[in-house]
Amino acid sequence: MTDAHHHAATDPLAHPEVQQASAAAYISAYVLTVGLLGVGLFMTERHLVTPHSLIPVIAAFAIFLLVAQSLLFLGLDVSHSNIWKTVSLMLTVPLFILSIGLTVWMFHSLDHLVMSPEMPGMSLQPGTLQ
Amino acid sequence: MSAPKSTAGGAVQLWEYQPKPHDPVSTKTLGFWLYMLSDALIFAGLFAAYGVLDQPMNAAGGPTAMQVVHPVAAFWQTLAVLTSVLAYSLATVALKAGSRAGVALGILAAMALGLVFLGLELNDFVTLFAMGATPERSGFLSVFFVLIASHGLHMAFGLLWMLVMLVQIMRFGFTTEVVTRLLSLRLFWQFQASVWVCVYVFVYLKGIVP
Repeated sequence: MTDAHHHAATDPLAHPEVQQASAAAYISAYVLTVGLLGVGLFMTERHLVTPHSLIPVIAAFAIFLLVAQSLLFLGLDVSHSNIWKTVSLMLTVPLFILSIGLTVWMFHSLDHLVMSPEMPGMSLQPGTLQ
Repeated sequence: MSAPKSTAGGAVQLWEYQPKPHDPVSTKTLGFWLYMLSDALIFAGLFAAYGVLDQPMNAAGGPTAMQVVHPVAAFWQTLAVLTSVLAYSLATVALKAGSRAGVALGILAAMALGLVFLGLELNDFVTLFAMGATPERSGFLSVFFVLIASHGLHMAFGLLWMLVMLVQIMRFGFTTEVVTRLLSLRLFWQFQASVWVCVYVFVYLKGIVP
């Protein structure tokens, strides 16, 4: 056992998870998030992009920011102290994709196939829904 | 520690001869991290429900997303929550230096900004309720309020946790237990920033896309 490890076991402030704190990384994550959400707001408010392509653009912003925050805020990497956090997140990401993606896709397909107005008797009448 | 090490004699050491010391900080933060991932799956379920119910038909003749979200006003909430997360994160930079005053200052700033966030959110809720947009009005509004309020509740419990940690820092100093809790709270608070990115983009920004 090396001195560094022995030290980490006795002084909690010497632990790698305390020592990973970085003002530069945190400020970068902050500036990136506020900046990119601000750009997204500007694009949405000013209708700079057609509505059809705006959703993929702002979704890409969100995914980029989630990755950036994982690296800069949470400090995820493959170091000895963080590897299992990274691995467990990688194993959870497919669950996010399945639970959100499949549900939304399934219900939108269902809506499109079952609720289309041209089907007899299925036209949407707002008055009947209240 | 895992890679084969060379000893002074040049022979490669293939295994540890001493038992590894127990590392309570890593064990507990990993446990808390696994909790955060399951908490993230709760939000995944809520976002899935929101994606399904964010349809004119599910507004049941009541207000749609276009009428209840105000992304420009909500940008103040974005600034409040992210600046709060930054303040707490910087408190853990002060923790690295062992500065009790620095950590306390960072936590106090994070709490003040968190309260600003909650105040803005409650004000938004009161305005919506006054115009008849209540959770029971439609399926869309039910999931809208549950999603936004779930994040708000996380913020409220985070603020309570910060208050507890302020007391613990003053009473016990930076013991292993207190430092571990401060690290778990950092994961918890930074996670709120990630959830807010999803809320802001997929509820507030997407809400005004025609």
